Amino acid sequence: MNENNEFEPKIAAFLCTWCSYAAADLAGSSRIQYPPNIRVVRVPCTGRMDPFLIIKAFNMGADGILVSGCHPGDCHFLDGNLYARRRFVMLNEMMQYAGVEAERMNFTWCSASEGKRFAGVVEDAVENVKKVGPWQGFDGQGFSQEEGETTVEKV
Amino acid sequence: MVKVSVRKKVKPQLKKYEKITEEIVEIAEKLLKENTVEKVIGFGIGIFTEEVTPIFISNPENADRLVFNSKAEMSLAKYLLNYKDQKVAIVAKPCDSRAIATYLAEDLIKRENIKVIGINGCPGIENNTACEECDIRNAVISDYTVGKKMTEEEIEAKLKDKEDKIEKMTPAERMEYFQKEFERCTRCYACREACYVCYCEQCFTEGNQPEWVGDSVKLNDNFTYHLMRAMHMAGRCVNCGACEMACPEGIDVRALAAKMCRSAEELFDYRAGIDSDQKTLLSDYDVNDTESGFME
Repeated sequence: MNENNEFEPKIAAFLCTWCSYAAADLAGSSRIQYPPNIRVVRVPCTGRMDPFLIIKAFNMGADGILVSGCHPGDCHFLDGNLYARRRFVMLNEMMQYAGVEAERMNFTWCSASEGKRFAGVVEDAVENVKKVGPWQGFDGQGFSQEEGETTVEKV
Repeated sequence: MVKVSVRKKVKPQLKKYEKITEEIVEIAEKLLKENTVEKVIGFGIGIFTEEVTPIFISNPENADRLVFNSKAEMSLAKYLLNYKDQKVAIVAKPCDSRAIATYLAEDLIKRENIKVIGINGCPGIENNTACEECDIRNAVISDYTVGKKMTEEEIEAKLKDKEDKIEKMTPAERMEYFQKEFERCTRCYACREACYVCYCEQCFTEGNQPEWVGDSVKLNDNFTYHLMRAMHMAGRCVNCGACEMACPEGIDVRALAAKMCRSAEELFDYRAGIDSDQKTLLSDYDVNDTESGFME
């Protein structure tokens, strides 16, 4: 919750170190503003992304996830993102079937030169997750918010 | 006294099972006598109970202990992994034969080491909801076949048009449905033990570096376990229903895995265990793969 009592989501962002992570860097050094809701996890390639990482993120209370890798054909390891693509499509199908809203799962491609696009992607992801509200966990019990983690206290 | 012979009325369905049993026994006896195989893995009646259990026969004299009936619910394919270097024959229902094809596709067993006694025209297993959706009722791979091959029309007649009620629900309703199901889960892992896909020597539930899922029986972790297991099923599950039959709590365990089967077919035109040379779904890619569910 922010000072206006609006919901501020926590999003686990898995970024490929060769492209999207660099894009985030570029966005930063170009002073492009984007929401501070993402918690970046740097992965060597989206092909390294075990779908379990995403399920685990939800298990531990992330309101949404964002996975961003190189555009198909641009993978540093030639075809890592192409393997990842199938995995994400299947994971997405399953999670939606199990009742996790589609808005919580954000997959995209973002190259190292697309700092501006990266900022847009984060904005879209945050907007998506805000639409569906806080994640209540697989048990529907919600998560106790740690002090200073999601609460921006008024000074 | 005059002996009155009462002709027993035999259901045609029962006769079908008996005929298959006879043929299985005949083939097994022949294989063992000729020393083509060291062991025959099949279904048999248990020693202490009337239940059908897996039996392993190495003496041709005992071949008549093999049976096949409507209670032969377990998947035998998994036992092949225990006899990787031996020559064994295995009795395979159509779903088991698909499981064997998947093992061959994953390079886990050698084709020359196994003899498959495939059951054609599988009459189905009692209480198995998967059999109602099954459209592969002939063995996919086999060295010897028993039973009568079913034609496509016959298979279609057996298919029950069942709409998936979960698919029609809203996300919140679906979540609630699965919460109610997985709440009952005691994490006995019977589904895992029954499943032919679950052959990992160390399951993700057992490791603690990283600890993918907590050990305790909490709904959050139960749900996570079932999601993760279903993710391992993607493109490998043959929808045999063994998990559901093994579950002591009667949980709809198969729902997620069955959904993965449907999605794989719809999105990637992929079915597990059709061909022993095919690559598994997630170990392959196509440049023009769908990006359904991706951001714009």
